[in-house]
Amino acid sequence: VSDAVTPRAETGSGWYVYGVVPAAAASDELLTGTTAIDASGAVAFVADGELAAITSVVPLAEFGEAAIKQNLHDGVWLEQKVTGHEAVLETALARAPLVPFRFGTIYRGEEQVRQMLRANAYLSETLQRLRGTVELGVKAFLDPEEFERGQLGDASEEPGDSGRAYLLRKQRDRQLAEARAAFTAVFAQESHDRLAAAAEDARANPVQRPEVSGGEMILNGAYLVRSDREEAFRTALATLQSINQPEGVRYELTGPWPPYNFVDVEPEQ
Amino acid sequence: MSKQLAQHEVTLLELVDRVLNKGVVLTGDITLSVADVDLVYVGLRVLLASVATLEEGPADGGR
Repeated sequence: VSDAVTPRAETGSGWYVYGVVPAAAASDELLTGTTAIDASGAVAFVADGELAAITSVVPLAEFGEAAIKQNLHDGVWLEQKVTGHEAVLETALARAPLVPFRFGTIYRGEEQVRQMLRANAYLSETLQRLRGTVELGVKAFLDPEEFERGQLGDASEEPGDSGRAYLLRKQRDRQLAEARAAFTAVFAQESHDRLAAAAEDARANPVQRPEVSGGEMILNGAYLVRSDREEAFRTALATLQSINQPEGVRYELTGPWPPYNFVDVEPEQ
Repeated sequence: MSKQLAQHEVTLLELVDRVLNKGVVLTGDITLSVADVDLVYVGLRVLLASVATLEEGPADGGR
């Protein structure tokens, strides 16, 4: 390699791991149409025992220890690679249960990938648990103005700028804020419980800050749903939507996703 | 057009939220730390802000 590189840039290749599927399902068919996260590699299995890792070879000049951390801050690079990681997993997900790995898990060689599979044979049980399921995401947002309208109904605002009008407005604002806090707390739990009832497993993740999510998020849930119960889950969500829309709530459904939220070893809730 | 953009932002955020924060975390020979990932959100906001700027176009002509 004669290209000029910064002194600390690594050379050579690494094995990028997207996720793990049962070795029994690891046919070429499963990867048909996939594009590797780096164009220099092709998506291929590395198998050991009952497990097969979905991998592709990546250049360490771009994915090495220092390089990848730097590249994460390049928004365009990040979007491309994160989208690429997801696309490979979604292709496989359509045909086999899979355990998604977090972005950026890289091994120095094929043998190291096999070692990882041997050391984590418990993933077979995880795959068994996930068989026939998908992850669906539900976020709920509250429109403060709509909520306000819903609370006030037709009650008209005390007009004018007299001291009395001012005090009434202050009092109204305080009552609205209290009503909103109470609604949000009850709402999040109720919505999550109803959706969880239509799912095999559920996670209520912390809501995202408004500057990230672009609105007042009051629910950030992930649900593990059996493929044959997906319709029932959507119906449950539609029911919630019709109940809570007048209060200014908007739900957002995403997925199906690889079960990113259901492969941790956290204690059951 | 701007509605399409909003959808795109939501999807990318959803994606980053899952692909970078969730999934099985095993110690690879190269692995990203939580701190690395936290910093990504900063970069992402910069990206989304710049996309929004492109979408709106130059506000006061060729600057």
